[in-house]
Amino acid sequence: MKHVCSSLPLASGGSQEYVKHFLLSVMIIISAVIANNVNAEKLGYPEKEELKFGFIKLTDMAPIAIAYENGYFEDEGLYVTIEAQANWKVLLDGVIDGQLDGAHMLAGQPIAATMGFGTKAHIITPFSMDLNGNGITVSNEIWAQMKPNIPKMDDGRPVHPIKAGALKPVVEKYKDEGKPFNMGMVFPVSTHNYELRYWLAAGGIHPGYYAPHKGDISGQIDADALLSVTPPPQMPATLEAGTIYGYCVGEPWNQQAVFKGIGVPVITDYEIWKNNPEKVFGITAEFAEKYPNTTIRIVRALIRAAMWLDENDNANRPAAVKILSQSNYVGADYDVIANSMTGTFEYEKGDKREVPDFNVFFRYNATYPYYSDAIWYLTQMRRWGQISEDKSDDWYKDMAAKVYKPDIYAKAALSLIEEGLADAKDFPDFATEDGFKDPQTEFIDGITFDGTKPNDYIDMFPIGLKSGDKV
Amino acid sequence: MKAATSLTTKLNMTGMSPKMSGLIAGSLQNLVIPLAGIVFFLAFWSVAASNINTSLGKFPGPNAVWTQLNSLYVEHNEERTKEQAFYERQKKRNAERVAQDPDYVPKIRSYTGKETFLDQIVTSLLTVMSGFLLAAVIAIPLGIAIGLSKTLNTAFNPVIQIFKPVSPLAWLPLVTMVVSALYATPDPVIPKSFLNSMITVTLCCLWPMVINTSVGVASINSDLVNVSRVLRLPALKHIQKIVLPASIPMIFTGMRTSLGIAWMVLIAAEMLAQNPGLGKFVWDEFQNGSSDSLGRIMAAVVVIGAIGFFLDRSMLQIQKFVSWDKTSASR
Amino acid sequence: MSELLNISGVDMIFPTPKGDFTALTDINLKISKGEFVSLIGHSGCGKSTVLNIVAGLHQATIGGVILNGKEVSEPGPERAVVFQNHSLLPWLSAYENVELAVKQVFGKSKSKADTKDWIEHNLRLVHMDHAMHKRPDELSGGMKQRVGIARALAMQPEILLMDEPFGALDALTRSHMQDSLMEIQNELNNTVIMITHDVDEAVLLSDRIVMMTNGPAATIGEILEINLERPRDRISLASDVEYTKLRQAVLTFLYEKQRKVEPINSIKKSSDVVHNSKNEAA
Repeated sequence: MKHVCSSLPLASGGSQEYVKHFLLSVMIIISAVIANNVNAEKLGYPEKEELKFGFIKLTDMAPIAIAYENGYFEDEGLYVTIEAQANWKVLLDGVIDGQLDGAHMLAGQPIAATMGFGTKAHIITPFSMDLNGNGITVSNEIWAQMKPNIPKMDDGRPVHPIKAGALKPVVEKYKDEGKPFNMGMVFPVSTHNYELRYWLAAGGIHPGYYAPHKGDISGQIDADALLSVTPPPQMPATLEAGTIYGYCVGEPWNQQAVFKGIGVPVITDYEIWKNNPEKVFGITAEFAEKYPNTTIRIVRALIRAAMWLDENDNANRPAAVKILSQSNYVGADYDVIANSMTGTFEYEKGDKREVPDFNVFFRYNATYPYYSDAIWYLTQMRRWGQISEDKSDDWYKDMAAKVYKPDIYAKAALSLIEEGLADAKDFPDFATEDGFKDPQTEFIDGITFDGTKPNDYIDMFPIGLKSGDKV
Repeated sequence: MKAATSLTTKLNMTGMSPKMSGLIAGSLQNLVIPLAGIVFFLAFWSVAASNINTSLGKFPGPNAVWTQLNSLYVEHNEERTKEQAFYERQKKRNAERVAQDPDYVPKIRSYTGKETFLDQIVTSLLTVMSGFLLAAVIAIPLGIAIGLSKTLNTAFNPVIQIFKPVSPLAWLPLVTMVVSALYATPDPVIPKSFLNSMITVTLCCLWPMVINTSVGVASINSDLVNVSRVLRLPALKHIQKIVLPASIPMIFTGMRTSLGIAWMVLIAAEMLAQNPGLGKFVWDEFQNGSSDSLGRIMAAVVVIGAIGFFLDRSMLQIQKFVSWDKTSASR
Repeated sequence: MSELLNISGVDMIFPTPKGDFTALTDINLKISKGEFVSLIGHSGCGKSTVLNIVAGLHQATIGGVILNGKEVSEPGPERAVVFQNHSLLPWLSAYENVELAVKQVFGKSKSKADTKDWIEHNLRLVHMDHAMHKRPDELSGGMKQRVGIARALAMQPEILLMDEPFGALDALTRSHMQDSLMEIQNELNNTVIMITHDVDEAVLLSDRIVMMTNGPAATIGEILEINLERPRDRISLASDVEYTKLRQAVLTFLYEKQRKVEPINSIKKSSDVVHNSKNEAA
């Protein structure tokens, strides 16, 4: 299976057609082999049965909680302990040093770790955990200043999506008064950091560059808005304390701000980039190599959990919310979690709107680890200077293939299909899937993302580093 | 107070001997006054609580805490039921597997569910006691050595004086890294997090115990030392018969101080390092930010206080039992 | 009587931050077996230092002490000490305090039963058999001192060293103790060096009184032989002419020849300060 990944960079970056063709043929062969394997021998018993997974208190950890509570892990012969972690760094370190066998991770974390931005370790992901699920919230004080800049609908409610242009005059006012405009995100390589930056930059607010080659990892070079790290569950308290004016975080911490009356969510990430890939399930490459059956079985359990979460038009969501509201999982009140998990999202208090796809766990192939998803994160790392130098398109693809492991996913899915636990039509066609989504257009700034051409994509942004730029 | 006296007058009138009623008055004083204090505190607490509004709702009063304590207990029992079911499922699964795969040696894995509030209390108590005992094992002999030898005292004193004022929490990151580096077994019998908390507790217990022991040893009445010299007691016997008993009051003072600090530090360390225990419980609840969270945190605060008090009283009882000098244990 | 102890040419110099302090100079004293010798002098004259040198608790700077032909270099049970403040281990009962000494001195040479008998015998000797299982804090000052003496006697010392043994007791108790001590002396005929600053006590108990000059550089001023007949009785001696003369001689030495005007503050000797471990521990 490994040779798929290693043969990727062999394809020359210049000839797109060739790459596609090459990949396609390899994929077909591989898939056939997998299918044969599945038919030939049953998936073996797990090599490691007692596992410990880490998570951060966010609703998108749901697949792990559901796989546990619904007994999917046990069905695989896995005895899993699930443990909340203090913050993303502690969680990543836990996986790297083996205290945790796997964890609910930010998509950027396995990529950055493998690349060596921050702690260097080869982390892989065989499973994407969800689409969307984040939001950007500003404090009441900032909202009051933003509101006049936002067009209104007939009923007086603001028109969504709200662009950062409405925030720009506020940031400028603070800048003129010499007050730093602080905002919170959860981790330097978090989806939230890139989404917040994307939104700010699309509205003309510079979120600042990183310069790791100069030892500057604060990400505040040339910044209009100063972004800093706060662990998700502490976001509301930090906002309430006035340390930050706004933040980008996953649920339930945006809805919590509404319930506590301390802030107003202005936009969801669904509106920044429709159906954007969010968390992933991360394990070390060493773990996957040492315990191949265990790895496949984990993915099987997680796929089943994701299916259950989206089943019958989110019919199981209330039950899921009940589980998540337990103190050992997310622990927020049922109502707070339900607000977003059951297909709605409350902006200003009382302004509750339908967002049926706010949390997607399975449909739209949400759990399949697409190479193109990894590449989008890599482009954002390059855009904001976390990758300080130009890289070839091949490099992007190579890196994506090093971290994202659709092959493991395919094995797990095919075995589930084989056993009748899943339906083949709910998955990508493993025989033809090349791991690249078609060019995606639904971004807030209208820029199209084609995962096969990362360098072209980077050059399209008005704010951000382009080919040849170095901070 | 007034109630107590009027009650005793009443009792007197019913024809009780003055001695009897005096006794009763004494116990009333011992009971009624603290009770009145507690009642007053509870009243003050509920009034104050209902006037403090946070973004998570009203500050929890005694009622809310009581409700939460109950619900935590109910949760504990529910978890035990789930645990039962877990073991039964596992047995069944093991049996199935043995049927298919005769070579398989079935293994019972411990419950993977969440730690309840009661579990966390047990974890914290275990951590504090093991850390404390480890510290005692190191500190008392070291303290005796330092107390006996002027040279050792001069050598160690600067080190102790520098490390004593350091908050053990400052050690925590170092302890964590060192434990990770040195204790790198794939399947540790003792969890690393437990070791981290325990060593942090040990570090904070160490200094008060060393200092008190060495001061206790150094300040032994010189006449007693002379008795030992006249008898030509060998070194070990001198320590056993003279030094240890003579410094036991001071050793215990050190131990009680240590245990008090250790309990406080442990809770903080658990919060900081997310190591299992009451501290983690408090932090998790703070992060959860549910409408029950404040009540649960307050419940934990009350329990932490009660356990701290209980630990101190236990040490006192042990001291009373062990020490010849009963007056030193009367504080 | 044969010579048992020889203190010869003893000088004691203590180094202090302000330079050397000569406490004793040229102390020479021979003591025979069975002799009861009192050391008397004003406080601060170095009586205790002499005793401590004999006990081996201090080392003489110049000169030395020879006991039975052997030089004294360290403390030992053959020179048992009765300390002024009883120095009983507060965590042990009277019996156990004596037991510690007996077991240490006789070890396995005495059987269990013999050990027990010997301990009880010595406690009986000091009239403490009725309270031998009480702890020091349950005993009066006089009783504690009796146990201290029993402990010293139980070591079967060649010489018994007593450092103001009755100094901390009230007058009445002191007389009782003195009578007891004479009674024991009658029976055991121990060799004793006793420090005192009670003139009556010295005359009543001693065979010889060694009178010391005032410090610094204190030395032996005069030695007075007490040839009063034994057993002695304090009431009949009170009117005895010889007794009165001897008493007079000591008083003359102390208050005329070695008259000392002390500053008021230093009257209380530092060793009088009762060590109270209870206060320290609490």
